[in-house]
Amino acid sequence: MNQIMDLPPGLTHYLAVGALLFVLGIIGFLARRNMILMFLNAELMIQGVALNFVAFARHRGNLEGQGFVLFLLAVAACEAAIALALILVLYRTQNSLDVSLWQNLREEGLEPIVDEEPLPLAPLEEKSPSLTVAGPGPAQPEETSHV
Amino acid sequence: MFEPAALALIPLLPALAGAVTLIFGPKFLKQQSHLPLIGACIASFLISLVAIQSMGSESGAREVSHHAGIWFSTFGSNPVNVGWDFRLDPISGMMVPMVLFLATVIAVFSTGYMKEDPGYPRYFGVFSLFVAAMTLLVLADNIVLLYAGWEGVGVCSFLLIGFWFQKPSALKAARKAFMVTRIGDVGLLLGIFLLWSGCGFTLQIPTLIEKARQLPDEYLYLAGFLLFVGAMGKSAQFPLHIWLPDAMEGPTPVSALIHAATMVTAGVYLIARFLPVLTLSPDLLLVIAIIGGITAILAALIALTQNDLKRILAYSTMSQLGYMFMALGAGRSDISSHSLVTFAMVAAMFHLFTHAFFKALLFLSAGSVMHAMGHVIDLRRIGGLRHVMPLTHIAFLSGALALSGIIPFSGYWSKDEILVALDAASHGPNRDLVYKILTWLGLITAGLTAFYTFRAYFLAFWGEVKIPVEAFAHGHDGHGHEKTENDLSVNHKVNHDPYGHSSDPSKAHESPLIMTLPLMVLVPAALGIGALFGPTHKMMDFLGSASGFHQDHGDHAASKWVALASQVFGLCGIAIAFVLYVAKPSLATSIKKSAGVGYNLSINRFYLDEILTLLFVRPLQILGWLIQALDRELWDRLVDAVARIPAWLGDKFRPVQNGLVQFYALAMALGLTIFLVFLAFGDRLFR
Repeated sequence: MNQIMDLPPGLTHYLAVGALLFVLGIIGFLARRNMILMFLNAELMIQGVALNFVAFARHRGNLEGQGFVLFLLAVAACEAAIALALILVLYRTQNSLDVSLWQNLREEGLEPIVDEEPLPLAPLEEKSPSLTVAGPGPAQPEETSHV
Repeated sequence: MFEPAALALIPLLPALAGAVTLIFGPKFLKQQSHLPLIGACIASFLISLVAIQSMGSESGAREVSHHAGIWFSTFGSNPVNVGWDFRLDPISGMMVPMVLFLATVIAVFSTGYMKEDPGYPRYFGVFSLFVAAMTLLVLADNIVLLYAGWEGVGVCSFLLIGFWFQKPSALKAARKAFMVTRIGDVGLLLGIFLLWSGCGFTLQIPTLIEKARQLPDEYLYLAGFLLFVGAMGKSAQFPLHIWLPDAMEGPTPVSALIHAATMVTAGVYLIARFLPVLTLSPDLLLVIAIIGGITAILAALIALTQNDLKRILAYSTMSQLGYMFMALGAGRSDISSHSLVTFAMVAAMFHLFTHAFFKALLFLSAGSVMHAMGHVIDLRRIGGLRHVMPLTHIAFLSGALALSGIIPFSGYWSKDEILVALDAASHGPNRDLVYKILTWLGLITAGLTAFYTFRAYFLAFWGEVKIPVEAFAHGHDGHGHEKTENDLSVNHKVNHDPYGHSSDPSKAHESPLIMTLPLMVLVPAALGIGALFGPTHKMMDFLGSASGFHQDHGDHAASKWVALASQVFGLCGIAIAFVLYVAKPSLATSIKKSAGVGYNLSINRFYLDEILTLLFVRPLQILGWLIQALDRELWDRLVDAVARIPAWLGDKFRPVQNGLVQFYALAMALGLTIFLVFLAFGDRLFR
């Protein structure tokens, strides 16, 4: 360990940081059940991978890795937009960001896994009318976060 | 003058006619469907006549042959090249015009008989295919082509027996005929294989015959016996005869052509063709003669008591075919003074020739009777028809006289030759006793033949006029097979008569001209053709010039006593029939009662159907049942068990899909980790 620390910053250091980011992302992804945080952890993993790309590109002296990272960033941006939109829809349906509420896709006949300590539910909000109205919408209560 | 390639046209024209009729018949030709067949038959008939004229001089081998290319060939160390090889030699030269002439006449008859039948185009289409297959069989120069024709006639026979497939009995008869002849066909196929492998892998029939002479005795015996098994199946010889009487379910013209005149004689043709080499195995000849003898006498005994006119004729056909095989079996070459090969072959083929004409005539007469009587053929229900149907009466009488072998009609000349051949064979060294017995068997059969033929004749055409009710019910349209139980019961009520007899002959009448004309054409042929070819030695000159045979004008007059004896037997048979069925009908009833056991045996066909069913059909059914049970209970269950494994596995792994996203992610991460560990350290772990 000391050896690595003593060395001038090189490929190994970058790779170590990248691996660290990736593993932190995995741990976060597996440990959290708030959908937004899980998403953020996934982003973290992507950044770890991107770091690897950049490090190898630098090490080999070409631009292929850099190019990949540009694509990666673009994909991550799109992903963020879609994922956040999906999360929003899911939140509106269940009034919660807890991912364990979405067990509907399990095999038929299986009992759902019951959460011992569920996240507190958001208070029911007044639904907007489904048809668009000409004037301004009804007054909304101030948004509160329950994360 | 004659282009040999035209030989190929002889089977080709009827085949084309068949194709045209079957494709265009139901839509376009309809009631004109007979035209292609009749045209093709006449054309082929003329071609065959020209071909015979050009067969060459008396001295050399009289034959025309043509090789019209390869049909199929195989690769390997012993390649098989099957070509379209046609050869017309005296033996086939006798068969081909006979087949085509009879086919033409019977086709004309059929236009009247089958009139307004809904299956009219189908009938003539299959009829054409039959003619094509039969001429192919006879003209084939290689044995595979012969086998193709052999199977072709079998299929057409099957289709025509089952022509009225609405009738369960016809279906059953068709299936039975097909299955029983198939047993024979397997024998023939094995025989072909044996000959092929034993004779240097050649398929050409003349080469086969030439090379088979060098075969060891047992080999030749086995191969010849297998060929004979094929002939037994096709020619309805004991014990494979059971299909022929049932085959009468088909339309009567079909019975006339296929089950009397042509197809059933294919076996005789085959054995006659191979006789020059089969004669080298005296044991085989003896087997052929004995089987022929058994069939001849057995069929004659059964025919004595049958009440169905067509069945009597069917048994008579069997009996006459037995005669032909007896003759072939007499073709001994181990007699020091004289080889009988040619004489026996000519006797058999000559009888085949005359028999074809008079048996076709008899069947067509029976068909004419059926047509006029609303498809009733039971001799107990018809009678005195000579007043009603004079032309048919003359035709049947001519056929009966020829069949009974009364001098000078054609049956006499050919039957006499067979008996002479048998008698000559009994003068050889060893086995003479068997041949002597067979000669007497032949004589007794001749007497029985005369008796049962004239029994049928007197019952149908003499005595008081009896006409069944069906004859009036349907206006002679020949659609008895379409009648329903309803119609019958109505008529019975009107007549108040269980048999529905009517003594008013004016309503029933002769068949139309289109049906009586062929009869009138066949009458002189049936009566005179024997005298034309027999005593003038034309048949011997013609057939004796076939390769493998020799002219045999040897004087067998020493055995002319058999001719006299056969006359005595035949005339006695007719006389007894006259006494029993015309002069004193009461006597017949009392004889029937006193001959209880024999009568029962005969009318039940010696219980042969039942015996064969018990011996072969039942065991096979039990075997089939066992195999089915094994299949269902063992193999099916094994396969089902294997099929249940994936389902069971799936059941075990199903809870993995619990719908928790984290669980999936964890499983994925763990799997990926394990995979990466193996990738990175695998070679170290498993070294």
